[in-house]
Parts: sequence; structure tokens; C-alpha cells
Amino acid sequence: MGSFDNDVYALLPELFLLGAALALLLFGVVYSTAPDYGSPSLVQTTQWFALLSLGLTAVLLANQPVTTMLCLSQSVQLDPFVTFCKTLILAGSLGAGAIAFQYLDGAGRHSFEASVLALLATLSLLCLVSAADLLPMYLALEMQSLCFYVLAASQRDSEFSTEAGLKYFLLGAFSSGLFLLGCALLYGLTGCTSFEALALLCAGGYGGDGGLVPLALGLLGVGFCFKLGAAPFHFWAPDVYEGAPTHVTAFFAIVPKAALLGLFAKLFLGSFLELMPLWQPALLGVGALSLLVGAVGAFAQRKLKRLLVYSGIGHLGFMLLGLGCGTPEGLQAVLVYLALYLVMSLQVFACVLALQERTSGQRVRYIEDVRGLAQAHPALAAALSLNFFSMAGLPPLVGFCAKFAVFFAALGANLALAVGVAVASSVVSCFYALRFLKWMYFEGQAGAGVAWAPMDLPKAWVIATTSSALLLGFAFPTPLFLWAEKAAAALL
Amino acid sequence: MPALLLWVLGLPLLGALALTLFPATAVRSMKRFALCVSLATFLASLGLWLGFDNASAPFQFVCHLPWLAAFNMHFAIGIDGISLFFVLLTTALVPVCLLVSWASVQHLVREFCIAFLLLETAMLAVFCMLDLVLFYVCFESVLLPMFGIIGIWGARERKIRAAYQFFLTTLVGSLAMLLAIGLLHFQVGTTDLQVLGTMELSERRQLFLWAAFFLAFAVKVPMLPFHIWLPEAHVEAPTAGSVILAGILLKLGTYGFLRFSIPLFPEASVYFTPLVYTLSVLGIVYASLTTLRQIDLKKIIAYSSVAHMGFVTLGLFSGNAQGVEGALLLMLSHGLVASALFLCVGMLYERTHTRLLRYYGGLVQTMPLFSFCFFVFTLGNLSLPGTSSFVGEFLILAGVYQTNTVAATLAASGMVLGGAYSIWLYNRVAFGNLKPAYLGAFADLNRREVALLAPFVVGILAMGVYPAPLVDAMHVAVTTALGRY
Repeated sequence: MGSFDNDVYALLPELFLLGAALALLLFGVVYSTAPDYGSPSLVQTTQWFALLSLGLTAVLLANQPVTTMLCLSQSVQLDPFVTFCKTLILAGSLGAGAIAFQYLDGAGRHSFEASVLALLATLSLLCLVSAADLLPMYLALEMQSLCFYVLAASQRDSEFSTEAGLKYFLLGAFSSGLFLLGCALLYGLTGCTSFEALALLCAGGYGGDGGLVPLALGLLGVGFCFKLGAAPFHFWAPDVYEGAPTHVTAFFAIVPKAALLGLFAKLFLGSFLELMPLWQPALLGVGALSLLVGAVGAFAQRKLKRLLVYSGIGHLGFMLLGLGCGTPEGLQAVLVYLALYLVMSLQVFACVLALQERTSGQRVRYIEDVRGLAQAHPALAAALSLNFFSMAGLPPLVGFCAKFAVFFAALGANLALAVGVAVASSVVSCFYALRFLKWMYFEGQAGAGVAWAPMDLPKAWVIATTSSALLLGFAFPTPLFLWAEKAAAALL
Repeated sequence: MPALLLWVLGLPLLGALALTLFPATAVRSMKRFALCVSLATFLASLGLWLGFDNASAPFQFVCHLPWLAAFNMHFAIGIDGISLFFVLLTTALVPVCLLVSWASVQHLVREFCIAFLLLETAMLAVFCMLDLVLFYVCFESVLLPMFGIIGIWGARERKIRAAYQFFLTTLVGSLAMLLAIGLLHFQVGTTDLQVLGTMELSERRQLFLWAAFFLAFAVKVPMLPFHIWLPEAHVEAPTAGSVILAGILLKLGTYGFLRFSIPLFPEASVYFTPLVYTLSVLGIVYASLTTLRQIDLKKIIAYSSVAHMGFVTLGLFSGNAQGVEGALLLMLSHGLVASALFLCVGMLYERTHTRLLRYYGGLVQTMPLFSFCFFVFTLGNLSLPGTSSFVGEFLILAGVYQTNTVAATLAASGMVLGGAYSIWLYNRVAFGNLKPAYLGAFADLNRREVALLAPFVVGILAMGVYPAPLVDAMHVAVTTALGRY
């Protein structure tokens, strides 16, 4: 215990983002109800300001005065691993915000509060990943969950959206309760809550004296898997993701995974490393099940957003497989996969948001709705095909880099069965990727064909950047791999 | 010029990128530009042959670029006597493919040319790559453009099913190879071919790795029982697609056997030779018999390709230089003969829009020039002495006879069957009565088609009469590959 004089340097990005979120909230409340200005809808303005704040936060993150620090009574940790996760979170939020502009113009979405909520959610994710103690972690997790519950229900004139928000709230509250119970059990068993203290206490390995330690770890793991949406705790994900407005779905799919998986790694690979025989089989089982559920579930879908959700569950399975290796190579592979998954899901959601019919504003709901896209909008069809093939792990696209990093790490840790399941899931994902391509390329347009609306500039930029990364990233994988290796070494 | 190989690989890629800058309506300029790029690549690859040193054992024209230094994987390319001729064959066949589609491909011409140029880069990279992981990447990269070519510019309704079959079968086979590469990387620490060539692995490990590699290569070759995708893909693909499929893509599998399975896992290769022999002989006999039953022109040539590839795998695993050199010569010759046969069938299809044998007959009366060329290619298909296939098959049989006389005898019966289906096909198409009730289009070859077929006629006959320059270049590489047998 000493003075907290230098601790503010570790929290600069978060403090700035908090100030910006509150300032935007005040700005929105004051001016959107101002009769002198005609009560303007400040949705677009607030969104631009939100993106600006995120950008400035990223600048602050890149220019941190300290890179490794444990502060605030050992409850906030800063190190290269945390910085990596924070960069991914900010990049994901920026991307998800940039592709939301055209969607926010639509009917029933005149509330600027969604942008502020997204900022607060990002803030809580940043705090989550830098937590070094069980209670600050739980607080950040709850703040993020609350923002997400409201965002899921934010389309007020849609019953579907309200249903999604309610389902998310009920199941999320339940899982948070389980999580807190796990934290309480750990506190009861050990008397401390900081990760470092837990690491010291667990350093001797597990003596096998009673079932409370596995129970505590199990509850924590179950809580995490619920939040992530890993099988068999994934049942809320398709309904929630499908019901939420699409730009919110993009946010859900892209941003939280980096934070939650980062925290998972910090807790299990950092603090509970010596207890690996307890949690490794369970983690690998959950990973394998997620792979299978993701592959088979996606195969059976007829709606586009649900297909993307199940494919996300499959990707999560890969990442849990990498975590389950328990080696630095495994962690490096997970970080590489997270970064590339961010690029790929950002691109696919940008493309999905771009698919809007010109006159009626109708969006794509079923997979068949994209029929004939190759004739109507060849560039978008090409971008989507690249994305699906990259997600299936086909060389020479960048998704292959991610998958082979995980494969090699898992083979290095002698996880042959899990790798077999991962390979099988990749093959199945090729099936539905090809089927999607078939609808776009080989089926003609129904009737006179659909006239697709042109997309706005930020979305076009996002699609162009991410598509280039998908194509060219394979030739230059070294910077990402080196950065991930440094981040992994900081933890293990 | 040390970076010549890099230019040969990079020119088609640059050409594909440049094609995106053309306006969409400049179709003729795009086709001409693509043709010029592919011809320039061919000239550059001729430079490779001119600068090649026949007596030097290590890889030549080596280029080493960093890719993923942390995992010890580098972008290393180089050629030796084995890959030199595959590179030449690839760069020679791509302009042929572009020329043959000059009139028949009308929509999405820009995408067609880009697909072929990207396919060319991927195929060339497969033959030059000296790193296992990047070899796998390029091996798989040929799937995407080929899938597009079959599915978008293919002929009939079944094309989507054929494209799916091709894609998925090849992918599943190759994933086994990826795992084997991972295991190898874990054990050795690098995937560089030149380093791996000096390693000695235990026999048990070799057996497992050989089997995984075998799955990937056997689907590509294609060996029985993984051969079903080939007739489907060939029939549904456009002419250019069939030419490149038969000419180059089938050789990827056998090249993989010769470059990786035999040098890296010699004990396992000896152990599994009876399996390979059985599948090859079955392939030869079964495929030849199936050919006799076909009624679709392209399917006949497709099944005869399966039979020829059976000969090739027989020769590759014969364990002596004769057999392997025969296999290589047969691979090159098959690249010429099968491609030429598909070109002929494509020309017929362009005129009549049918491939059913029933409707053809008596073409020698109205299309004499075409019938002459078709005859030369038929002789090549049945391996008549004087054509390039004979040199290959004879050396294979001579090599295999030293190892296993039964296999050699059964394979020799394949030569008889080959004669049967080739002569019968030619008989029914060229001789007999014309059938004007079914077909009315009998224009003989135009200038473009003569320019397409003439190099093949000359090549097949020249290679059959004087194969020495090719064998001289390959000999050192083959003896090195068989070094630890």
C-alpha cells in the first residue's frame, strides 16, 4: 500500500473514455430536447463523436507512459497482454461503430443513447480486461452485461428485439449469479481475491482434498462460457443475436470476445496454471463441443444472422482449443485467432449491413435473399465469398493462418483428438460456405431482381480495408505473430 | 538472372492485378492482355530451361524470402530437374487455355482471365515451393479458382454438383496432410524441404506421415477409389478448365509423391509399395474397362486419364531410376496428349453443342485436318511407339518389371486396353457414316485452332522420337530423390 500518485497513468484511456461517454450523454440529453434547435435527432452526430472518442482512446492507449504496472491495490494490471486485448477491443468498437451509420438512420432508431451505451460497454470491457482482482472484474462484467441487455432491446418498435433483450437479461443475470458464487467460493477457500495472490496460493498444485476448488473453478468457467456463448451454454446466443438490431449484433459478435477470452486466459492460464489437470479436460470438452455445435448448427440454418452466430460459436471452439493447450504457443495462437477473427467478422457484418433493398429498405433475413448477388453487386459478392472461405480456413486467405496456428499449437501439446474434431468442423464449415456461394453465384435472381441500395462511405472503407487484409494478410503474418508472442510471453 | 523464378511466379499475379484496372467493356483488350502476360511467362520459363544446369544436384534459381520466421517457415522457391518441366508445361498450357476460350467464353470474361492467371501462379508455386506449409497452401489455393471455373463457366446443370465434389473431396484429403505437416514441424522444428531431406525419422512415424500424405495426393492423382470427382469435374468444366485440369492439376498429386513422400519417407514408401501397386493396377484395368462403356466424349478421355495416372504411380514407386523417369515422361506426355484430346473435343462441342458419341461419325470426310490431328493424339493416348507416351510407358514397365513381374504384366494388359478404347473412340468419331440427321456443323479447323493443335502434334512426336534432352535434365534430380531407397 502506498500512494496512488502514479496509478492514473495506467488508467488514462479508461478515464478519458468515461469522461467522453458522460459528456456525450449530457450533450445528447441537453440538445436533443432543446426546442430552440428544433429537438434534432442527434443520432448521427453522437455516433461520430463516439467514434472520435474511441479513436482518441486508442491514441492514448498507443502512447501509454507505462507498459507494465500493477496498481490500485493490486486490482488493475497493465502489461503487453492487456494492451493487446485492449487494442482489439477498441479496433472492434471502432469498426462496429463505423458500419452502423446507415442502419441508425432507419425507422424506430432515433435514440442517441445507443451510441453512449456502446461507449460505456467498451469502457467496461477495457476495465474488464485490465482487472487483476475478482471483484473489479465482476463489476466490469456486470456493467458490460447491463449495457448489452439494453442495446439488445434498443429497437423499441420491434417485439423481436424486446424478446432478445429479455432473454439475454434473464440468462445473463443467472450466469452472473453463478459467476459471483464461484468468486465467493474462492474467497471463502483462500481468503483473497486478487489474481496474484490466487496464483501464489495455487502454485502448489491441487492436493485433491475435497471438491470445493473444482466446484469454484467450475462455476467460474460456466459463468464465462455463458457470457461467451460457448456450447453447451450457447442456447441464448442465436435468439439474442438474431433479435437484436443488426449493428448491435455486429457489436456483440466482434467486441466482447477479446475481453472475455483475455480475462479467461489471465485467470486460468495465469492464476490457475498449476491446477491445469482440473480445468484442461473440461475446457477442451467445451471447445470440442462448441466446434461441433458451431459446424452442425450453421449447416442447418436458413437465416443469415443465425448462420453467422453459429459460425461464431465454431470460431470460439477454436479459440478455447488454443487456450486449452496451456502452452505459450497455444496462447499466441489464440491471440492471433482473435485478431484475425475480428477482421473477418467485421467484414462479414459490414457486408450484411450493406445488403439493403433500395426502395423498401428491406434487409436480408434468409440466406436465399442473397440470390443473384453476383450479378447485381459483384464486388460485395466477391467480398462475402472471400470472407466465408477465410472463415472456413482455406488458404491462401488469412483465416488459414489463424487455424494453422491453433492446429500446430494443439499438435505441440499432444491434443490429437481435439485437433481431429477441429479439422472435421473446418470441413463442415466449407460445406455451408459453398452453399452460401451457390446462392450468390449460381442461382439467378428471382423475378426482375432485387435493386440493392448503395452503401455509405464509412462502410465502404471498412469493407475495403478488411477485404484487403483478408487477401494480403497471408503474405505478411510476421508482425501479428510477433506481437501475439510478446503478449503471450507477458502472461505465461 | 537470379530472380527469374520469382518473375515467372509473379508475372501472372501482376497480370491478374492489372486486369482489374481495365474498364468492363474492353473485353477484347483484356483477353489480349491476359494472353500476352501468359506468353511472357512462358518465355521467361524458357529462360529457366536455358539457364538450367543438367549436372547440378541442389535446387537452382533458389529464392528465399522470410514469411513466418518465428515458426521457421520461409517462402523458399527453387527448381530441379523434376519441377523444371512441370513449370514449362504449366506456362505452356495456360496460353492454350486462354486461346481455346477466345470465342466460347462470353460473360464475365475479366473474371475468367483473372481466375486463370491466379490459377497459374498457384500451380507454378506448387511446383517450385521448397517449404512444406507453403506447398500445402499453394496445393489448396488451386481449389478456389478451379471451383469458380467449373461452376461459373461450366456447361451443364450438373456442374455445381461436380464443383462441390471436386472441392470437398480434395479438401478433406488435404487436411490429413496438414496435420501430418504439423506433426513433422513439431518433431523437427522446421518445414524446409532441404533440411527435412537430411533428417531420419523412425519407421513408425514415417508410416503414419506417409499415410496422411497419401490421402492428400491420392485424391489429386486420382487413384482408385478416390477417382470419382475426375470424370464429373472434367465433363462439367469448360474446355479450358478440362485442359488445365488434365494437363496440370492431376500432376500435382504425383509430383507430391515424388517430391515429398518418396524422398522424406523412404522406408514407408517401400512398405506401402504393394498398396500403391494394387491400387494402380486396379486403376489401370478398371478405368480402361470403364472407358469402353462411356458414351460421353469427355468422360472417355477423363477415364483414360485415370488409367494413365495409374501407370504413373506404378512407375513412381518402382524404386529405380528407370521407372521414375518413365513416370515423369509419361506425366509430361499425358499433359500434352490429354490436353490436346480435350482441345479436340472442345472444338467439336463448340460446333455442335453435344458430346454424345452416338451423334458423331464420318468426320474424316468433312473435317480432314481435324481428323489428322485427332489421330495423332489418339496414337499418343494408346502409346504407340514413336509418340511420347510410349517412351514413358515402356520405361515404367521396364522399371516395374525389375521390382514386381506380376504388376508389370497386369499393367501391360492396360496397354492393350488403352489401344482398345483409343482406337474404338477414333473409329466411331472419324470413320463410318456421317450423321447429318443429328449434326450439321462441319467446319474444319480455323486458324486459331490450327495454331492451338500444331504445337501439341509437334511436341508429342518430337518427344517420342527424341526424349533425350528431357531425360538428361531430370536424371540428377531423380537419382537424388531415390537416394535413400
